[in-house]
Amino acid sequence: MERTVIERSFQDRLSIFLRGNLPAVVVIGFSIVLAIFIAIETGPSQIANIIVTGGMWALLAAGLALVFGVMNIPHFAHGESFMVGAYVGYFVFTPISNYLKDNPNAVLSFIAPVVGVIAAAIVGAIMGAVIERLVFAPLRKRTRAGWVMNTFLLTVGLSFVLVYGTTLIIGPNFRGIPRYYDVPPIDFLGMRVAVDRIFAFVIAIITIAALTYFMQKTRTGRAIRAVSQDETGAQLVGINLGFIHTLTFALATAMAAMAGAALLFMFQAYPTVGLKPLYLSWYVVMMVGLGNVYGAIIGGFIVALLQTATQQFFGISWDLVVPTALMILILILVPSGIFGSEVKGIQEQ
Amino acid sequence: MLELKTVNTSYDFLQILWDVSLNVDDGEFVALIGPNGAGKTTTLRTIAGLLSPKSGEVLFKGRSIGALPAHEVSRMGISYISEELNLFTDMSVRENLLLGAYAVNDRKQELETLDFVYHLFPRLKEREKQLSGTMSGGERKMLAIARGMMSNPELLLVDEPSLGLAPHLTHDVFRALLELRQRGVTILLVEQNVNATLEITDRAYILEHGRIAMEGPSKEMKANEHVRNAYLGI
Repeated sequence: MERTVIERSFQDRLSIFLRGNLPAVVVIGFSIVLAIFIAIETGPSQIANIIVTGGMWALLAAGLALVFGVMNIPHFAHGESFMVGAYVGYFVFTPISNYLKDNPNAVLSFIAPVVGVIAAAIVGAIMGAVIERLVFAPLRKRTRAGWVMNTFLLTVGLSFVLVYGTTLIIGPNFRGIPRYYDVPPIDFLGMRVAVDRIFAFVIAIITIAALTYFMQKTRTGRAIRAVSQDETGAQLVGINLGFIHTLTFALATAMAAMAGAALLFMFQAYPTVGLKPLYLSWYVVMMVGLGNVYGAIIGGFIVALLQTATQQFFGISWDLVVPTALMILILILVPSGIFGSEVKGIQEQ
Repeated sequence: MLELKTVNTSYDFLQILWDVSLNVDDGEFVALIGPNGAGKTTTLRTIAGLLSPKSGEVLFKGRSIGALPAHEVSRMGISYISEELNLFTDMSVRENLLLGAYAVNDRKQELETLDFVYHLFPRLKEREKQLSGTMSGGERKMLAIARGMMSNPELLLVDEPSLGLAPHLTHDVFRALLELRQRGVTILLVEQNVNATLEITDRAYILEHGRIAMEGPSKEMKANEHVRNAYLGI
């Protein structure tokens, strides 16, 4: 059979790519311009700030996207995972730091924050698994009718229970730490960056890299993607849906908890600390398309950039306004998000 | 190998299967034919564990599997290739095939089976890196069968493999099924293309209105008056 090969020049290919991904190109292009503008206007240290918070929103939003993509749950108690992580970070780090005041030890003071974050991840994973087994698995067994709405209401209720339960048990006080690393900021490419921020960024990068590797290269990661693409197909090849659901929820909760612990120096721990991270990570997933995990990682940085830009140019109390306005625009113009949604489950139900 | 004893299956209040009994012996190639809506797919879904029977028994190698969830049935050695294929459309051909061997823990065996299905369907080897959602209907059907083979099943349930395929592709699919059968795989085939099906199978069951209406060797079925009138249009 004869095949016609269409020769395309580089410019043609580029223009086809740009037209096909127009919303993504516009948003990312705008973000880059904005970032350069901020760097020129206020100095590069704001960029470091954006990268650090962006990494954390990416962790939260990736978990949200994962839970929505695999289980079709719009998770509105995700902020409480952040909150629990912040508390775990506080309660693990504070005793070690008090001990260090009397017994200075360079190695221990270096690893203490890492211990806090790992503890948060473990507690988060257990909490996620327990919640999935106790709340969502029984509902799934009972009925799949109205699943998205029902789970939405369930997660909102769960959020109330966790917030007020925490207030009851631990109290409404703010519990924070002055800093994780008691060392002067480092000069890096003309930016003065606090070591705590570098720590948070390293945590985010390692976690995102590990998540990407897990999802793309391992058998279990592949099974998670399989469940998000075709549940019946996944069952037919021998994948235990219940196990994948519990694992996915535990993974998402652990990532949010890690973010809570890693950002303890910025946010402190108190019962409603998760509200703002929840909103921002929802902005991210709506912007990039529900269920799109890798889009959520890029989106995390874009939202952090918008937030910082708003704080810089409009004032600190405006920082949720611009992301919200952008989200409204995106929902009107490209409802499936700038990178397109990968969620298949909604239409099937 | 597989035995259904007076199986009744329903969706909510709508009963589809009424006292369906059938059996498939080791190495046999059995057809299940019947008009649209007779319950052929429901029968396969019941065996595969996607539906559980309201009453009756499903036995596989002497073990009752009626109450088992689909993933455990699959791990016991039954592969169901559904009509809608249920491929992972945003994954490459290779990834789909590797997922087919999800329950296989032996990495070496997994790669051997991969070579075998690539030998069976050379087209899939060419398209290894392509996303399965972007392939043509015939290629997707081959991929679904190949994915079903990846777990080294003893029993293959195939639902309407010729549906929507051009005649020469149907021919390819049937040839692949025959080759599998020669390698000792037991097959239960649901098909609309009655003529070709009776040509290649050993035995056939006819399902009408959710009940087994007839059964017998495929050759005899072909000569039967009712079958000739209703299904072969002679």
